[in-house]
Amino acid sequence: MLSVEGLSKTYQNGVVALQGFSLEVHPGEIVAVIGGSGCGKSTLLRLISGLDQPTAGKIAINGEAVRAPHQLINLIFQEPRLLPWLTVGENIRFGLSHLGRRERDERATAALDQVHLAGYENSLPKELSGGQAQRAAIARALVTQPEVLLLDEPFSALDALTRSALQNHLVGIWRQTHSTMIIVTHDIEEAVALAHRVIVMQPSPGRIMEEIAINLPMPREVSGQAVDRYKKKVRASLNRSLSKSGTVMRDAEVISIVEDIA
Amino acid sequence: MTAIEVLSGQLRERIAGNRTGARPAIWKRFLLSIAVPAGAFLLWQAAVSFGLSSGRLVPPPSRIIAALWQLAGNGELYRHVASTCLRVLFGFLAGAAAGVVVGTLTGFFTTARALVDPSLQALRAIPSIAWVPLFILWFGIFETSKVMLIATGVFFPVYLGLSTALLSVDRKIVEVGRIFRLSGLELARRILFPAVLPALIVALRAGLGLGWMFVVAAEFMGASEGLGYLLVDGQQLGKPDQIVAAIIIFAIIGKLSDGLIVSISAPLVAWQDNYKKGGT
Repeated sequence: MLSVEGLSKTYQNGVVALQGFSLEVHPGEIVAVIGGSGCGKSTLLRLISGLDQPTAGKIAINGEAVRAPHQLINLIFQEPRLLPWLTVGENIRFGLSHLGRRERDERATAALDQVHLAGYENSLPKELSGGQAQRAAIARALVTQPEVLLLDEPFSALDALTRSALQNHLVGIWRQTHSTMIIVTHDIEEAVALAHRVIVMQPSPGRIMEEIAINLPMPREVSGQAVDRYKKKVRASLNRSLSKSGTVMRDAEVISIVEDIA
Repeated sequence: MTAIEVLSGQLRERIAGNRTGARPAIWKRFLLSIAVPAGAFLLWQAAVSFGLSSGRLVPPPSRIIAALWQLAGNGELYRHVASTCLRVLFGFLAGAAAGVVVGTLTGFFTTARALVDPSLQALRAIPSIAWVPLFILWFGIFETSKVMLIATGVFFPVYLGLSTALLSVDRKIVEVGRIFRLSGLELARRILFPAVLPALIVALRAGLGLGWMFVVAAEFMGASEGLGYLLVDGQQLGKPDQIVAAIIIFAIIGKLSDGLIVSISAPLVAWQDNYKKGGT
């Protein structure tokens, strides 16, 4: 399905964001990538989405090399990035200009229903709450029917209640579409709740520290013995990753992880 | 009375309420906008009427109105206003079109920017009046030189506004276009131009304002009609009331033309999430 082989990225300032990263993602699998600040999580998604070019390594989807944004891959950003001059409906139809009007409308209506935004089609993005805007962004990505959906900390800017609701939405969507997803997060609970496999990354340079398979059925309970066992496992791995890297923990992302570990 | 009749009656009342509610706001804004000039005029009229000033060099409103009335009565005013407006219209269209084309090229292409932007920034600093002798030599004394001078004035703010706006479009929304694999032209049409539209409208307004300033310099170039001609004529014949009348007409037409751009463009930028709507 999606194959990443020996992926490296060195920025112009000499920072090695990712080194020798390899990953095989199977159809319908949800993979969570978790790690401290600067471990190359977002860089990984930008490379897979084709927004940035790797310094070395290969990315392929169904055997076809990915060198630029690909029709079978879509990316949901950390912030909704809805185009403010378009209505919600127009934003959702944005990537469907190659289709006929009828199919565009049908897909947009279905996607609006899917993310519980029916009735907001003619609203402007400025009229939506943060959670609604992020749901509209998810719908915009879903209408293109991507085989691989990349999510870059999509719920991190939302309050806990909205975040939890949107995580449930995402699981609901996955159960309908069985899309392959790679979700970057710094939230251990989110990773364990959503993913079939959690990849713990280590920074400087970004590489895989450990892969943890989450063998629990979907949808998952928020807590419980089995879930808590996996959370502990991921926490422990993340802790090892951070202590190995010797990262000075200053920014909010790492602090939140440290609090979580504590 | 049926439920539908009751509801429609309530609806009518609400609509009527909204209308009457909107009116005082519009009137209030209008009255506030003319309060300062009207107050100044009344004070000056009183000063001249009570003999505190002769009003010889700065005529009172009554003499200005009389001058306007006389010009309007013999049809002169319309001829001069029409002539000036046409020059500004053609100059604005030419200058804005050139500003949009060059601004787009320099906004998109680094090489184009490196080639022409430094020279244009240097030319931008040249005062309007400095162009007059050169434009007369190049384009003659008649309409072409006048329109070209106005177009020059309009060009720079439109060029600068658009070029700068294109360079500062948020990378994040451009990436949305890239993720959906838009071609270069589609990216420009569907993301970049909508994103820079508010800045372009401000640039057009600034360009039009300069157009009204440059038309005066243009009409000093041997014009036989136009509001600029009225200014020169008033100065040569010692008619300050005519000069002030022409200045007031400039102010009114300038404000009306700016209001026209604002009205036409308002629906296009209604999506903006502004702190406060209604300021023009």
